Amino acid sequence: MLFNVDNAYAALGVLSLGLLMTVFLTIICGATSLVAGVFVALAKMSKRRWLRAITGSYVTIIRSTPLLVQLIFIYYALPFVGIRLNPLSAAYIGLSLNVTAYLSEVYRGGIEAVSKGQHDAAAALGMKNSVAMRRVIFPQALRTLIPTLGNYIVSLFKDTSLASVVTIQELMFKGQIIAAQNYDYMTIYAMVFLLYLAVGYPAIRFVTYLEKRMKNGYAVKKASKRKVGVAQ
Amino acid sequence: MSTPIIEIKNLTKSFGTNMVLKDFSTTIQKGEVVGIIGPSGSGKSTLLRCINFLEIADSGSISIAGEEVLVDNKGGHSVPALKIAQLRTKVGMVFQQFNLFPHLTAIQNIIAGPKYVLKEDQKEREQKARDLLEMVGLSEKMDHFPEELSGGQQQRVAIARALAMNPEVMLFDEATSALDPEIVGEVLSVMRKLVDDGMTMLVVTHEMGFVRQVADRVIFMDEGKIVEEGPPSQLFDNPKHPRTKDFLSAILSHTE
Repeated sequence: MLFNVDNAYAALGVLSLGLLMTVFLTIICGATSLVAGVFVALAKMSKRRWLRAITGSYVTIIRSTPLLVQLIFIYYALPFVGIRLNPLSAAYIGLSLNVTAYLSEVYRGGIEAVSKGQHDAAAALGMKNSVAMRRVIFPQALRTLIPTLGNYIVSLFKDTSLASVVTIQELMFKGQIIAAQNYDYMTIYAMVFLLYLAVGYPAIRFVTYLEKRMKNGYAVKKASKRKVGVAQ
Repeated sequence: MSTPIIEIKNLTKSFGTNMVLKDFSTTIQKGEVVGIIGPSGSGKSTLLRCINFLEIADSGSISIAGEEVLVDNKGGHSVPALKIAQLRTKVGMVFQQFNLFPHLTAIQNIIAGPKYVLKEDQKEREQKARDLLEMVGLSEKMDHFPEELSGGQQQRVAIARALAMNPEVMLFDEATSALDPEIVGEVLSVMRKLVDDGMTMLVVTHEMGFVRQVADRVIFMDEGKIVEEGPPSQLFDNPKHPRTKDFLSAILSHTE
């Protein structure tokens, strides 16, 4: 048999632990990047030139190099200049730095897409720039960006497999360990494949749902509430 | 009518090589309703936007309720941005495209200024918002989002939003130009209420009938300057300047 059920069953426990690590990395790196990305985006749009220069080069460097190389550099090269990180810290920092850079570009695009009329209206009410950003511009930008941000988080979920190079025992790494012991590459990697799919597929469907929901406009939530009201 | 609310002195503004305002001066008294008319590109909207500092003039000065702001041609002000924000609270502005905040309901739009700028307490600002919605005839639309409202309803909410800041003066920048002809009237009737309440108003518009009825003074602008000004009866029935005559005959023949 190509697919060995006994081997699959035996590997399930260890692989599940790996999947747990994968999800854990996705959550901590995703949460960090979703927040940090906003600040990097704002810094990139700042009036201060030095701030724009620093964040601009950071984003450019990250976007022009492979994530795999970034992770290897952080874990294996930085110790030579005295920065010694444990695997989890290296993976956390590497993945977060990477995703933050991409998300900052997403946020910036969304913020810049909010119409000038909204800036005018907020300013005409006497709102300071910071208040206008927080109460008027950013909430509108965020809403249009939610599906895109969701897609990036799903990408992050898949990209955590690269953390295996810094010896993080996530799903991919666990699979490699088991396959190296029992040589049943087909069964083990099929299991790894299916476990990624088991989380990735619902996540993608959820993003698609968010996309559809967003197209329906601001009144949707309330309209459904109203229907409930009528039924009662 | 002896307290000046807005004093504009020698205001100049260019976009590139195009000079939009040329040494423009005028004074608006408290309670005065001033209609500003003129061909498109004559600088009417730019004038309103400069009064609210949404555009920064190249030179001249603007006084709002006695506080003077000198504008220099390097694009800076003699007062910091915070001062500008504070001056803006005294000036309400209504835009051609309404510019309601789409993520907030009608009442939340009205509350936004009192909440985030004036920091009024919740009871006070909500009561005021309800009163304003009633004034513009939209009490039942309180919890609707802008996308659920018609253009005329959106503009009435936008007027209420500007009024919620208790402004000393209201600027109307072609407030009815984006509306279908049959709903222009509902916005104009709200504006007429404000006139009756004694609000100081600067109204840039193409609604000549409205200006004739409610304005104390009409300014005809062309190429960034006042060509002619006076009470509506004088300006509409007995224009002195040939440019005014041409403009009015073109507009009136078009509307009749």
